[in-house]
Amino acid sequence: MKNYIILLLLVASILSCKQEKKVVIPISVEKLEDQKIDYATGFTIQNHKTYKEISITSPWPDAKSTFTYILHPKGSEKPTINGKASFIEVPVDKTVVTSTTDIPMLEYLGLENKLIGFPHCDYISSEKTRTLVDNGTIIELGNNGHLNTELTLELAPELIIGYSATGDIKTYDLLEKTGIPVVMNGSWMEQHPLGRAEWIKFVGAFYNKEQQADSIFKKIEKDYNDAATLANNATTTPTVLSGNMFKDVWHVPGGDSYVAKFLKDANTNYLWAETKKTGSIGLNFESVLEKAQNAQFWIGSGSSTSLEELKGKNNRYTFFEAFKNKTVYSSTLKTGAKGGLMYYELGPMRPDLILKDIIQIAHPELLTDYEPYFFEKLN
Amino acid sequence: MTPNKSYKSVFIVIIIVLLLCFVTNISLGSVLIPWLDTIKSLVGATVEKESWRHIIIDYRLPKAITAIIVGSGLGVSGLLMQTLFRNPLAGPFVLGISSGASLGVALLILGSALIGGSTALFLVSNWGLVIAASMGSVLVLFMVMLVSSRVRDTMAILIIGLMFGSITAAIVSVLSYFAPAEQLQRYVFWGFGSLGNLSWTDLLIFSVIAIIGMILAIFAIKPLNTLLLGENYARSLGLNIKKSRLLIILATGLLAGSITAFAGPIAFIGLAVPHLTRQLFHTSDHKTLIPAVILFGSIIMLVCDTISQLPGTEYTLPINAITSLIGAPVVIWLLVRKRKMLF
Repeated sequence: MKNYIILLLLVASILSCKQEKKVVIPISVEKLEDQKIDYATGFTIQNHKTYKEISITSPWPDAKSTFTYILHPKGSEKPTINGKASFIEVPVDKTVVTSTTDIPMLEYLGLENKLIGFPHCDYISSEKTRTLVDNGTIIELGNNGHLNTELTLELAPELIIGYSATGDIKTYDLLEKTGIPVVMNGSWMEQHPLGRAEWIKFVGAFYNKEQQADSIFKKIEKDYNDAATLANNATTTPTVLSGNMFKDVWHVPGGDSYVAKFLKDANTNYLWAETKKTGSIGLNFESVLEKAQNAQFWIGSGSSTSLEELKGKNNRYTFFEAFKNKTVYSSTLKTGAKGGLMYYELGPMRPDLILKDIIQIAHPELLTDYEPYFFEKLN
Repeated sequence: MTPNKSYKSVFIVIIIVLLLCFVTNISLGSVLIPWLDTIKSLVGATVEKESWRHIIIDYRLPKAITAIIVGSGLGVSGLLMQTLFRNPLAGPFVLGISSGASLGVALLILGSALIGGSTALFLVSNWGLVIAASMGSVLVLFMVMLVSSRVRDTMAILIIGLMFGSITAAIVSVLSYFAPAEQLQRYVFWGFGSLGNLSWTDLLIFSVIAIIGMILAIFAIKPLNTLLLGENYARSLGLNIKKSRLLIILATGLLAGSITAFAGPIAFIGLAVPHLTRQLFHTSDHKTLIPAVILFGSIIMLVCDTISQLPGTEYTLPINAITSLIGAPVVIWLLVRKRKMLF
């Protein structure tokens, strides 16, 4: 108990150091046009006179219903709305997020201090937020992204940004019944790399940080498009193989997937670009060997840290030219202090870095003084 | 080991069918390789494309040999178990061998979530899976042997094997509950079984263990035939029941354990093949049954693998789906015709 009081005092003193302006910021609704969303297809933000309306159209595959959230200033009356919606008073303060992809978004908006809980904190890699986990500011709320209901209720956040891969949202429904607003983040469903990053506008809306989110995104968008333009000037289009084997089935990213889009924008010839699938495709080993034995690059080889380890997992990897020529690259080797993967955490927020990495691999002459951020060459 | 003379012609036909299945299996796959190049690859002549040679020599050939070992091994161990327990529904896995292997693999793949850190993932290499599955099987088998040396009644061993299966299934489900999706998927894929993942080195070790198991099974022919008369009668004929039981369990353990370790838990073959063989040969003499089961098991596994490769497409089906599609109707048919069954 004594420790608890000391901790409270500590936290209080840290918080009081921050020079917060105690001014209620009204929602900036001079211009009542909708927020511009260029790439993301899963959400819209409409601005009204006294409130904002956010709609989430595809929180998970084949979702049947749209989620509507009404954001109104703290202390103001709930606006009257036709239809079903959840009401959230903004700007929110104490927040729980459930996906590591939300961590960089909060950090870029300078909101990491709003985070009070996370399920499976070990997945968090970013040093800034890790510090908050280590000093106990962010509470552990369960494992593997499963929120522990009791711990979450006890923490009583003002907002939970959740996600669901399957549409099973029982836990969230229960939390919502107790009065904690839950919003669904569907950013992982976006197929355009910039679409995922654009969800920073969604996150920003709950803290009245639209303008900041907008300018952060614009910068990322510009860098991405500049890099894609640069790649277009390349004189060669190298062939690329991706994915890896489990047993004798090789899982390659589908031609409409997020990964394939990067490979296309980096001006490479991804050998399965023609396949019409957004997920991964399990292919027979022999068909992959036949098609990709001479591929110049193998980009995205999974978790193996060296060519030796790849060979140990499956001797048949050695038949590929990319393996022989040591042009194998993986994006999942950079980890945080507790083993979380940087690529999965920061990648969705920084597609410009992913694209530049791939351009640097495939067209090194175009980016001479660029150091790849996520991708590493296997030795 | 020489089958009765009256079956000689039948055996010759089956051997020819087996050879045909073997050649068909090697010549068909996702990639269309001309006949001539297939032969050239096999005899080591120069082939038009380097990748074709790799496909034939390093993928299809070990896969076909694996199919033969898996089919024959499961068939024989299924036959041994059916005779030992005098139960037509016993299979190679009644002793909990596959559940033991599953537990080993689950601890390796899913347990890493509990142990924590992505370093544990690096353990999940090819050999990691094999060693984990073997350890699991051996552990369960050892327990069964221990129990069987203390229990008089063979039926009790059957029940104990099933109990071990339930315990391991429960532990696996707890592990699955806490495992991340990606690792769960790996475990599920392991459960589908796979014949096409063995390098020549793996295959060498695999075949040595399987051959030892086969030799033990051949040594067990006489006691097996005696056991058909019932345990008490066999005792009065001077058969050492405990010793024979251990020999049979050991043979099954080596066969089913190594198969599960290298190819995953392959369903139904062990149960269905002995029955098919009995129906065809109208005998319960193990001197005929064992070689026949070896041939039939190999043929069926080669056919199942050929189908699962979906020749001409880029995709494969999990081998377990195909074996079950063939095996399940057989089991149903067995249950329906149980009275007329030759057993």
